[in-house]
Amino acid sequence: MSQTQASSRYLRFTLAQRIEHLVMMLSFATLALTGLPQKFPLSEISQSIVKILGGIESVRQIHHVAAIVMMFGVIYHILAVGYKLFVLRLRPTMVPTLKDIKDAWQAFLYNLGLAKTYPQMGRYTFEEKMEYWAFVWGAIIMGQTGFMMWNPITTARLLPGEFIPAAKAAHGGEALLAVLAIIIWHMYGVHVRRFNKAMWTGYLSEEEMLHEHPLELADRKAGLDKPQLDPLVLRRRRAIYFPIAAFLAVLMLGGVYFFVFAEETALAAASPVETVPVYAPRTPTPSPTPTLAVSPEAPLTWNGAIGVLFQQKCGLCHGAGSFTGLSLDTYANAMAGGKNGVVILPGKSAESPLILQQEKGGHPGQFSSQELEMLRAWIDAGAPEK
Amino acid sequence: MRIVMQQHLPLSLLGIGAALSLVAILLWLPLFSQPVQAAPLPQSSDEDEACLLCHKQPGMSKTLPNGDILPLTVDPELIQASVHGQAGLRCVDCHEGIRGFPHPEFKVESRREATLALYGVCAKCHTTQYTQTQDSVHFHALASGNLNAAVCTDCHDPHAQARITDPQTGQPYPEQRIYDAEICGRCHSAIYDEFVASIHGNALYQNNPDVPTCTTCHGVHDIRGPQEVAFRLKSPTEMCGRCHTDPEMMGKYGISTNVLNSYVADFHGTTVLLFEKVSPDQPFNKPLCTDCHGVHKILATDDPQHGLQIRENILVTCQRCHPTATINFSDAWLSHYEPSPKHYPIVYYVNLFYKIFIPLVLGGMGVFVLSDVYRRFIRRRKGDAHA
Repeated sequence: MSQTQASSRYLRFTLAQRIEHLVMMLSFATLALTGLPQKFPLSEISQSIVKILGGIESVRQIHHVAAIVMMFGVIYHILAVGYKLFVLRLRPTMVPTLKDIKDAWQAFLYNLGLAKTYPQMGRYTFEEKMEYWAFVWGAIIMGQTGFMMWNPITTARLLPGEFIPAAKAAHGGEALLAVLAIIIWHMYGVHVRRFNKAMWTGYLSEEEMLHEHPLELADRKAGLDKPQLDPLVLRRRRAIYFPIAAFLAVLMLGGVYFFVFAEETALAAASPVETVPVYAPRTPTPSPTPTLAVSPEAPLTWNGAIGVLFQQKCGLCHGAGSFTGLSLDTYANAMAGGKNGVVILPGKSAESPLILQQEKGGHPGQFSSQELEMLRAWIDAGAPEK
Repeated sequence: MRIVMQQHLPLSLLGIGAALSLVAILLWLPLFSQPVQAAPLPQSSDEDEACLLCHKQPGMSKTLPNGDILPLTVDPELIQASVHGQAGLRCVDCHEGIRGFPHPEFKVESRREATLALYGVCAKCHTTQYTQTQDSVHFHALASGNLNAAVCTDCHDPHAQARITDPQTGQPYPEQRIYDAEICGRCHSAIYDEFVASIHGNALYQNNPDVPTCTTCHGVHDIRGPQEVAFRLKSPTEMCGRCHTDPEMMGKYGISTNVLNSYVADFHGTTVLLFEKVSPDQPFNKPLCTDCHGVHKILATDDPQHGLQIRENILVTCQRCHPTATINFSDAWLSHYEPSPKHYPIVYYVNLFYKIFIPLVLGGMGVFVLSDVYRRFIRRRKGDAHA
């Protein structure tokens, strides 16, 4: 815009308003980007977004941070509007009136060629008011249902549990509505139809004002847009408003704090469902084939422990009619000895060839030292059969 | 040839064992030991006969240094009836390197050590299964020093294992389903007891072909650790969902097949689905089917004691993750219902509201936007400068 035309520029949005819009836009976009994949988790696009953002838990964290930013934005907006309405006594230009409905209808008829003129509108057109109040409605719904999902246990203390899935349904439905409305209404209205840069530059030209906000232009030219304020009155109103605003701010920030920290919803890890031991072998361990075992209680006789021990340890080579020339299968055979003579001398374990042979060690059927001790005791006791 | 083998036994033994002088001793065995069985083993090779001459003697064993008794007796009838016997496997096919007596030294401290020293030979024929076990929780436990972890022969007694799969169909024989549970129960007896008391285990023992046995969910040789994130994440879709979304199977029992869809539609299921799709190895704290219904001791939802149709029982499961939850909280879960005017009407009417409200609002906006487009189009055609 050249210098010569500078005088015909009209400030539409202050820097604070532009920053506010930017913050709301970014948080809204972030909420949509991280929220919709949760509403449509089966879609591959959703899964790609979740993956890029580092998984569903981090998506939820981003969503929560964006929600907090938006809550701060809303709090700021409430306080700023309060200042404008109470302290500055500006006209409530955003409040919908009957004229807006008439304007909308006339604009529609005009578009269809059924009305001669396009409606003349003030600071905010019916399109802008609709979008603003849609945002207000959305923020209320999303805030409430968001709280219920963020703090389901607290919610269930006050309301039926069914409100939580209902909140999820409403949050998702409202989100879809908001995103699509932004695409259809906002995108068309300020980007497609004519790229309206006022929200970035802050200004509209006189020609733009004439086209879009002719009534506001007339007011401004007549100097009616800025009521004259007595500095004393202004100071008095500020003195009233600022404490109230501070109180409200603390209250609302406390609300945000409660929103975020009301409860610890879930543990990081659940307690195990089943507490039975994983490894609990059946006793005794089943054996593929039964084995003969020397019972520790068996008496120290051939028919007790000793016969079984010989069968177990020696039976392979010194069985019935053994090729080795020594049979240890029966008491009689064992006592009779082999082709080299008697191997068991009752009462004399130290001299019994069987013991001498075993003491050397390395015999194919080798007794353990414990078993050998048993044998010595048995021989020394006279090698009884029964 | 096989039938008359017994008569040729000494001769053939000579042929095989000529180089191994000690085998000659075995020649004497028939002469001195008890009479050879009247009915010879139909398929054993001559070599097997030589082994069995000693090893069929009942009560043969060896006491190991730690006091374990290593049984050395093999029941010829049992092995002959086994799948290995049927396949004509010889003793030395597995017990490699044993060709005579005395046998090469086999030094082990315990019976377990003996098992661990020997089972590797299974890989010779069962390479696929053996390789699969290398990915299993059992192998990982073994590798990390837990000697109790199951190896091939703990589940399959090589001397007695019957054929598992039907060669006609390639599928396990029906009775194998109960055997499976019994085999796992040997080491996991506490879990086995839970399972047998469950609705699945109970039906399994009534020969119901639809219910799962251990291996249905856990797999066979490549059994994964049930605490592994990937295993857990897949469980709703690939484990429970496999049967519980099958209309034919569930129809028999009047069970809804909407359970998986309704789970995924819920916050918990959505999260689990996204974890599975996006980060299947990341730990998560959202419940799976098994977290509410139980793992092994799954009971009917109308079970008078623990059934989940009772709010208080749901609350108990909620509180495992949400310790401060109150009874109202349990109604936040839709219990697999599709919201309707009868079940969860608030959710139903909220959904209905948006089903009408969204098209209404967007439709209105769309109509206005289109009318504006139309006007601009007309004016541009007329060459209006103020388009």
